[in-house]
Amino acid sequence: MESYTFVVVGGGIAGVSCVEMLCHLRPDNRVLLITASQLVKAVANVSQLTQILCSFDVEEQNYGEFSGKFPNLTVVQDTVLDILPESHQIRTDKGLTFHYEKLCLCHGARPRLLSDNEFVLGIRDTESVQVFQNKLKEASRVVIVGNGGIATELVHELKGVDVIWVIKDETISATFVDPGAGQFFLDSLQEGQTGGAPEVCKRMKYSSRDLAPNSSTCKGSALGPDWHRNIQTLGAKVESTARNVMVEFKSEVKRVLTRTEFQGCGLKESDKWQSARDWSVYIELDNGTVLGSDFVVSATGVTPNGDLISGHLFEQTPDLGIKVDDNFRTNVLDVFAAGDVCTTTWTNAPHWFQMRLWTQARQMGLHVGQCMNASLENRLQTLDFSFEMFTHVTKFFGYKVVLLGLFNGQTLNNEYEILLRITKGQEYVKTILKDGRMHGAILIGETDLEETFENLILNQMDLSSYGEDLLDPSVDIEDYFD
Amino acid sequence: MVVRSYEDECQFLEKLGPHTWKIKSGFQPNMKVDGVFYVNEQLEKLMFEELRNACRPGMVGGFLPGVKQIANVAALPGIVGRSVGLPDIHSGYGFAIGNMAAFDMGNPEAVVSPGGVGFDINCGVRLIRTNLTERDVQPVKEQLTQSIFDHIPVGVGSKGIIPMNAKDLEEALEMGMDWSLREGYVWPEDKEHCEEYGRMLNADPNCVSTRAKKRGLPQLGTLGAGNHYAEIQVVDEIFDPFAAGQMGIDQKGQVVVMIHCGSRGFGHQVATDALVAMEKAMKRDKIEVNDRQLACARIQSEEGQNYLKGMACAANFAWVNRSSMTFLTRQAFAKMFKSDPDDLDMHVIYDVSHNIAKVEQHLVEGKPKTLLVHRKGSTRAFPPHHPLIPVDYQEAPESYKNVTDVVDTCHAVGISKKCIKLRPIGVIKG
Repeated sequence: MESYTFVVVGGGIAGVSCVEMLCHLRPDNRVLLITASQLVKAVANVSQLTQILCSFDVEEQNYGEFSGKFPNLTVVQDTVLDILPESHQIRTDKGLTFHYEKLCLCHGARPRLLSDNEFVLGIRDTESVQVFQNKLKEASRVVIVGNGGIATELVHELKGVDVIWVIKDETISATFVDPGAGQFFLDSLQEGQTGGAPEVCKRMKYSSRDLAPNSSTCKGSALGPDWHRNIQTLGAKVESTARNVMVEFKSEVKRVLTRTEFQGCGLKESDKWQSARDWSVYIELDNGTVLGSDFVVSATGVTPNGDLISGHLFEQTPDLGIKVDDNFRTNVLDVFAAGDVCTTTWTNAPHWFQMRLWTQARQMGLHVGQCMNASLENRLQTLDFSFEMFTHVTKFFGYKVVLLGLFNGQTLNNEYEILLRITKGQEYVKTILKDGRMHGAILIGETDLEETFENLILNQMDLSSYGEDLLDPSVDIEDYFD
Repeated sequence: MVVRSYEDECQFLEKLGPHTWKIKSGFQPNMKVDGVFYVNEQLEKLMFEELRNACRPGMVGGFLPGVKQIANVAALPGIVGRSVGLPDIHSGYGFAIGNMAAFDMGNPEAVVSPGGVGFDINCGVRLIRTNLTERDVQPVKEQLTQSIFDHIPVGVGSKGIIPMNAKDLEEALEMGMDWSLREGYVWPEDKEHCEEYGRMLNADPNCVSTRAKKRGLPQLGTLGAGNHYAEIQVVDEIFDPFAAGQMGIDQKGQVVVMIHCGSRGFGHQVATDALVAMEKAMKRDKIEVNDRQLACARIQSEEGQNYLKGMACAANFAWVNRSSMTFLTRQAFAKMFKSDPDDLDMHVIYDVSHNIAKVEQHLVEGKPKTLLVHRKGSTRAFPPHHPLIPVDYQEAPESYKNVTDVVDTCHAVGISKKCIKLRPIGVIKG
């Protein structure tokens, strides 16, 4: 049986960031990464946009290639079956046992699927994207259910296919942005224009050709940014490369039916979705709408995998996330958890909250590495500054989107003011103010305000004397607070 | 703010010369000295328009016009000379950006004000020369730019170029550029051309809050967004060949690199902490100001001294930052041109700060005095033969003037080819 100082389970962004930190801090100790998939995430081209806000590229690397990065790192492709905490051991599917001094679980989360119908797909990892890509080639209509990041990005990217976007909210992308910003995007989407010139995407490197043919049962790690860029997003209706998106607002899926079930149940397609053909799958919405589709993408969130590996050992939140303290320790001695699989339980800093995003996965991965190192020295690590304020940068509909602090007034009990500045099709600036202080912001487009606002939120300066002038475009506010 | 009609306000403003205006006492309450500002025609229009807008009915608070801010600063206790507004002065927090004010350290009433330094303490500019020309760099411009970015180490895996633990940070805060020198990231001669030789000696990391240190730690070696940048630039015109030659600039098309950055979040926190502490102490010390943003403390008070020592730490932080960028830039160029920085003659031409407060000796009404000079968005310029001019620039007095031009160019974002003109214009007295 092999023995390692540090064992990390999961080759996603959290696991990989943790491993990199450990290898860097402890070059003389042995580190083991166990990944179920052949591919691990590598983070590259980190670009620090502001103090906390950070964008980076995610590359997929074959695990063998990754292990070459650090001399003290071993990477093994295997699935962990269970943990034996008293003896500090883990057992794997291939029958191996490893001994650890400190263990970190970063085995992520799984997509919440609407149903187990074969035509309902979740998009979670490289492998499921491949499946999606294959199905898309033959498709003329796709239904996307969900209103978060993946759904939003997907709707933007798909061309040559009719897209029906089913969301339970009144406005699109509600998980991330408020109705105002949702409307801002919708206008662009429907007018067929989106921000900026099409970008050459140099970021995501997709090496699916490295996948072994029998890897169909293995689950890979979550997708990072730009996951959709290099895949074929062109459907079967090639005569029209235009985007054709229709949104079904405030609707939830009540039932998913196979063709046979549909034909036997007496339902009919709703008038607006009438078609002269049979579809592979049918959905019934709670408002009574019925429609068919070539397939359905279920992008309705994820369920943490807290229950999958010796789940009975760990205290979990109801959504199956493993509870961790501010040193990312679980209730089991010497076992840590980070990334999508964990749920943080410390009292949050006023402007931070957990959201299962790759940016947080990275911050957690880096920090848990520091914590595990500290634990080896019998000391505790103070919480990293990145947990002082929520930050996330992403791209929706071609626009750069920066989210800072309590960007939707989270935890403020609706007792806040909003200052808004919109230039249609170009820029959307929204700030959340309470007691004259800025507590959050959403910046869409190239506003160049992210660092200034980050500082204003962290400084908690009294801005009441400026009133609405704060967002007056003729004032160079960046310079003013320099 | 006093509310008068625009016409009445203008009674207090007197034109002294083609580029000079005086702000007379009374423009704002309690002015202890006059104000003065220097503008060209274009800027003059802007300043008066700003004032006119502020005089409209219903306009109160918020962003004060530059002329009013200069006047409010003139009302601070202990100010000597005049409250000076340099070209392109514009609205800022407390002090306008481009507002310089000096306070008599011998006067127990004299104050220090964080608004007079700015939040991005020691935001400044460093210019590095090369012996490359535009022809050499044009074909590989994109890769070179990318290479500089690639060399910026962030977080994990960046082998200690940037201090990553608390102890390194403490040392860097205390030692400034001497830390970079000790760690091998700058050349000894780099210090010669730096203001304060890249280190303020009165820095005391104990006067800096934990939150500031936490904020600063991840940021060393990073550029930040907005108007901070590193630019590859090309000499467009040489107006004074002798002075330029002294600085190693001898041909049009010569490539230089300009780094513009400061102390970022660290400076912000130091300033914020000080403003909060000082606001509390103002009542105790019976200090009254026209604008709450001009929170200040007696220089010799605990709050004043703590701020100055913390400010020095932030200044040192910024010099370490610029030094780190210098190192990275040298590496990037060396790699691209398969040479080494020495052979590429990549020396630091100068490094000046434009957000700082310093203790300096000046003649006031014929008598030497020790003054605390606040410069925000303004840099120091020396008359000829001043002892603090680097020895090799002694014979090139004209070239050290008007770095405001440089400040003006600092509003370009990102990396791009720009031309700089080395040209002495106007006079800025420190």
